[in-house]
Amino acid sequence: MERIFKRDLDQLGDVFSFLDGFADETNVGMPVVLPLRLAIEELFTNMVRHNPAGSSDITISLDRDGDNIVVVLTDHDVAVPFDPTQSKHVDTTADLEDREAGGLGIHLVKRMVDEIHYHYSAGTRQSKITLIKSVDSQHA
Amino acid sequence: MLDIRVVDGQIQLAGVFDASQVSAAEPVFEEIHKSAVVNFEELEYISSAGLSVLLMTQKRLAGSGHELKLVNLSSHISDVFRYAGFDLIFSIE
Repeated sequence: MERIFKRDLDQLGDVFSFLDGFADETNVGMPVVLPLRLAIEELFTNMVRHNPAGSSDITISLDRDGDNIVVVLTDHDVAVPFDPTQSKHVDTTADLEDREAGGLGIHLVKRMVDEIHYHYSAGTRQSKITLIKSVDSQHA
Repeated sequence: MLDIRVVDGQIQLAGVFDASQVSAAEPVFEEIHKSAVVNFEELEYISSAGLSVLLMTQKRLAGSGHELKLVNLSSHISDVFRYAGFDLIFSIE
């Protein structure tokens, strides 16, 4: 299933409802839904914040392929690609005074899913992020 | 939606603490100037946006020798805190 969302953080409630509906239909439980919700939110908000001038909406598709849930987020009008798989390392052991919030979201995405893939097409200016999570996975 | 209540100095969170709730949550946490307990019992979900609000508050309070203490985290939220390394900078019970 696929749905188009406006480039607005206020859409998050609708994004979560979309995921919950998919989970109900495909018999996916909360131990898988909650990590997926987190991963999708972090990437969706990243697309909204890092491409505020983007003129188009953001498409999210959800599919079940055997034991895997496959999520694809597509941003359709990206001038400067951002590859989350190449994001900088976050030091999660630093002292409190040295902690920064930046980068934490993508760090968490990597812990929430089994695979993350990024593809940018310069011709169409499309960024596509694919997440794969096993319904049997032991990730949080 | 996120519901935040301050009851007898304890901050009680309920619902979903996502990026769309930060602007509502920040003013509540900015009013905290002493050590306080944050009760997660009814919080279903938190993302990095919510973690950032807690982090900024903890850093500010640490300047005056105070801190937030977090109680009643669900197993999913506990995992999120651990993956973020926040279990090292917050007291969690």
